[in-house]
Amino acid sequence: MSDPTVAENWVAAPLTRLKEDARLISGVLLYPSGRAVGQFGFSNAADVMSICALTSAINASARELGRQLDGNPFYEMHHAGAERQVFMARASAGAQEFLFVGVFDRESSFGVVEIYFAEFQKALERLHPEKQPKGAGPSGDFEGELNRSLDALFGPIGKR
Amino acid sequence: MKALNQVVDTLSRVPGVVVAMVVGATDGLIVETSAVIGGAGGADPRKPTAALAAYLYSKVTRASDAARLGTPAFMRLEAERGHIFVVGARDVVLVTIVTTDANLGRVRLEMMNAARADS
Repeated sequence: MSDPTVAENWVAAPLTRLKEDARLISGVLLYPSGRAVGQFGFSNAADVMSICALTSAINASARELGRQLDGNPFYEMHHAGAERQVFMARASAGAQEFLFVGVFDRESSFGVVEIYFAEFQKALERLHPEKQPKGAGPSGDFEGELNRSLDALFGPIGKR
Repeated sequence: MKALNQVVDTLSRVPGVVVAMVVGATDGLIVETSAVIGGAGGADPRKPTAALAAYLYSKVTRASDAARLGTPAFMRLEAERGHIFVVGARDVVLVTIVTTDANLGRVRLEMMNAARADS
C-alpha cells in the first residue's frame, strides 16, 4: 500500500494513520471546491481528478437533499457495494472545511471506519496551521485549482 | 427468536456487566444497547467498543478457521480493569463489558444462552 501524497504536508500523518487504522484501500482529502489536499491508493492523476469533481458534486447535492428532506444538510454518506464500500464525510479544522472519501472492503467495517475517521477529524483540528493556506477558498477557477492540486500530488503533466 | 431488547436487558442485569450490546457482525454498528452502568462522566465507550469488538471477532473467526477449529464459540479479552466478552449469533455479535469482580462463568453462560436463543 502506497504512502499518501499530499499538497499540504500537515495532512500526511493523519492520512497515513487513517489509512492504516481503518484499513482503507484508497482515499482522498479535498476542499469542498474540489481541490485535492492529499490522497492514497491512486497512481493516476485522472482518477483523483474525477473523484474530486464527483465528491464535490455529491457533497453539494447531499447537503441540499438533506436540507429539503430533513431541514439539515447531510454530511456523511456510506454506500455498501458487494465487494467494496464507500465512505464520504466532511471534516473541519478551525474554520476550514474538508471532504474525505475513502474505499474499504471486508478487511474493515463501516463502524471501524467511523471510529478512526472521528480520530482523523480530531487530528486535523489539532494540526491545522493557524494561517490559512493560500487559495484554500474557492477562487472560481475550478479547473485551474484542480490542476494545481494534482500537480502537487503527482507532479506536473508530462512528468507524471 | 428473543427480541433484541430482551437480550440486552437480560445481559445487563447480570452482576458485573457494565454494558451489553447487540452489534452488527459485518458493519460493527450498534443494533441494541443497554445504558452504561456507572457510566456518568467520561467518554461513552459503546460505539468504539462495538465497532472494534465486532472487527476483532471477525479476525478471530478467520484465525479459528485457519487453524481448522471451526467457528469460535466465545471470545474473552482480559484487560487491566475488566473484560470484553463477545459471542457470535448469525448476523450479529453480542458484546459485553464486564468488571473484574464479576462472576465470569455466569456472564458467559447468559451470553451463550442468549446467542443460542438468537440463532
